[in-house]
Amino acid sequence: MIEVQDLTKVYKLSKSKMAQLKTNSNIKRAADGISFTAKPGEIYGLLGPNGAGKTTTLRCIATLLTPTDGHVAVCGHDTVKEGEQVRESLGFLTNEIKLDPFFTPKYLFEFFGHAHGMTDSEIAARKADLFGRFGITAFEDKKIESLSTGMKQKAAIVVSLVHNPQVVIFDEPTSGLDVITAKSVLDLLKSLRDEGKTIIISTHIMSEAEKLCDRIGVIIDGHKVAEGTVPEIVEKTGAADLEDAFFVLYRDNHKEEEYNPQKAFGGARK
Amino acid sequence: MKNASLVMKKELARVFKDKRMIFSMFILPALIMLVIFNLVGMMVDGMSKDVEEHVSTVYIQNATENAKNVIAASGYDKVATVSYVGEGMGTIDKIKEDILNGDTDLLVVFDTDFDEVYKAYTKSGDAIPNISLYYNSTTNYGNAAVSTFNAMVVDPLRTGLQSERIGNLEQLTVFNISETIIANEDKKNGQFLSMMLPYMIVMMLFASAMSLCVDAVAGEKERGTLATLLLSPIKRSEIAFGKLAGLSILASISAVVYAISSIFSMGSMSKSIMGVADDAGDMGKLSFSAWQVIGLVLIMITLVYLFVAITSLLSILAKDIKQASSLISPLYIVVILLGMITMFTTGKTPADFMYAIPVYGSALAIQGIAVNALEPLQLIFSICGNVVCAAIVTFGIKKAFDSEKVMFNA
Ligand SMILES: Nc1ncnc2c1ncn2[C@@H]1O[C@H](COP(=O)(O)OP(=O)(O)OP(=O)(O)O)[C@@H](O)[C@H]1O
Ligand SMILES: [Mg+2]
Repeated sequence: MIEVQDLTKVYKLSKSKMAQLKTNSNIKRAADGISFTAKPGEIYGLLGPNGAGKTTTLRCIATLLTPTDGHVAVCGHDTVKEGEQVRESLGFLTNEIKLDPFFTPKYLFEFFGHAHGMTDSEIAARKADLFGRFGITAFEDKKIESLSTGMKQKAAIVVSLVHNPQVVIFDEPTSGLDVITAKSVLDLLKSLRDEGKTIIISTHIMSEAEKLCDRIGVIIDGHKVAEGTVPEIVEKTGAADLEDAFFVLYRDNHKEEEYNPQKAFGGARK
Repeated sequence: MKNASLVMKKELARVFKDKRMIFSMFILPALIMLVIFNLVGMMVDGMSKDVEEHVSTVYIQNATENAKNVIAASGYDKVATVSYVGEGMGTIDKIKEDILNGDTDLLVVFDTDFDEVYKAYTKSGDAIPNISLYYNSTTNYGNAAVSTFNAMVVDPLRTGLQSERIGNLEQLTVFNISETIIANEDKKNGQFLSMMLPYMIVMMLFASAMSLCVDAVAGEKERGTLATLLLSPIKRSEIAFGKLAGLSILASISAVVYAISSIFSMGSMSKSIMGVADDAGDMGKLSFSAWQVIGLVLIMITLVYLFVAITSLLSILAKDIKQASSLISPLYIVVILLGMITMFTTGKTPADFMYAIPVYGSALAIQGIAVNALEPLQLIFSICGNVVCAAIVTFGIKKAFDSEKVMFNA
């Protein structure tokens, strides 16, 4: 169970960051009052364009960032006050957070197992299950640096799942993967859901959201602008499919920064 | 603390599970030190041997009979190719040109009327005859030729003429000097060591800490693997302490490897370069009291931890490996200077409180240990200085781990 309540994250911007983001404000409200709840046995998808605030939201849930305002609870534990308990019950995956290239999948699996306080026999049992399921046994003694992107991704997944977490957070689960590997990742997420885990993913790929997510929260400019199942969102916006619905939502909710004279869609905020 | 040891073990495994790492961290530096020191030693040896074996080419113009006799008597004509030349400016110019080219090593010109002027001398103010030496001071051969000529020809010639004029040379001896060196055996033996040791230990410990920590901390941050660790339930303070402990062990081992290989190499080099073969031989004979040895070990342990902590902190604050290196390099120079100041500390031992200054105090203490003169209070001061400073830096590291600004640039 993940409860996000009025989550706001404000970044202070350096001069160079301001130039990079083309803004004349020295703060960035990357998440602005986002609320949602993800329940056990469901895959909740955060759908949004680049820079919408998806990664920021997920990092706040994973205790890597402290919310400027609002509350986040994972399995009933507050991410700020009970960070260690939250990390105990959470598996977090992203492309920016990586496995040590100089170690083998086996070593890292055991290392993080011990870090989670598991015994050797618990780790061995878990390893037999996960390594078999992902076909990692074949390269479990090879260093991460010598593995292909797909193998690395699989290794990262099993390592983050070593402690059998109740909550799994996956930032862009298929980015950089070929269709075969991507499918095996998505299949895993489905099987985790069927085990009753709470799963949140972020994506900007419509087909992925459509196929995988039980419910979707659409995030634009740090705001949650729509929520529901895919058919619900499509119906609410009066669009033909999710992609169309996304464009409608973007047109209605995205506000260009003042410095930019060209307004992309000319639409006013609702 | 169980998790801290887990993190520490991982830091050690990174090196010890990898044969290439073991080679590049411990074996290669030792080999490089040995090869460099031995090459330098061999080159210096070869150079002096070459100068020794070289037969100087010497031209002497207007040599007096006396001079010729001295040359024959001292056997100078056996160690150098001596040619006597008469008047005639043409040949002299040619010889000077040869000296410049290096074909000739020395030209000696006696005044034409050397003997007459010498004999005509009766009272002060009368003319004194002259011998001119021409040689190229930028060549080893030239310098060697002059000093040999002075020793084997000029000095005996002068003494001979002096005694001929005065009769008994003893009249000129107004006093004798006799030197007896009084020094504490340990201090004498440790002098060379006490000059070099603080500087070398400080430099080696810092160098090994630096090369390790930049990769293990800034590298991990850059590669995104530090964040993985932050996602685990291991406490930030345990991550900080575990990493520092692991890196300290590695830095110590690598410093010890450096120290051993350089002591070995210096033994072979000091003979040729520093001419302190005896002192170097005595290094083995130094007798340290047990607690001085324990003191040295304690100082080195606290010092290496301090260096690892400082370089780790800077590595965490840096965005990437490149920035970390540029932050640490100026500090390296400061630390080396602190180690070097002790080389020039002469006379009185500094006040006890000076030993509490981190790094500098340790260098002073190591110097004291080398001459077997470190006081317990000084040792305690220098250890405390390091420990307090290291504790502050460790706390800073924990704070940095907690800071999302530092870890995620947010
Ligand atoms: N450390 C930071 N400092 C300042 N601004 C930041 C920082 N991280 C992110 N931002 C800004 O906050 C906004 C949200 O970023 P975030 O990474 O959460 O977006 P995202 O939805 O994950 O985008 P993407 O699809 O590109 O991954 C962006 O405008 C980004 O530039
Ligand atoms: Mg993102």
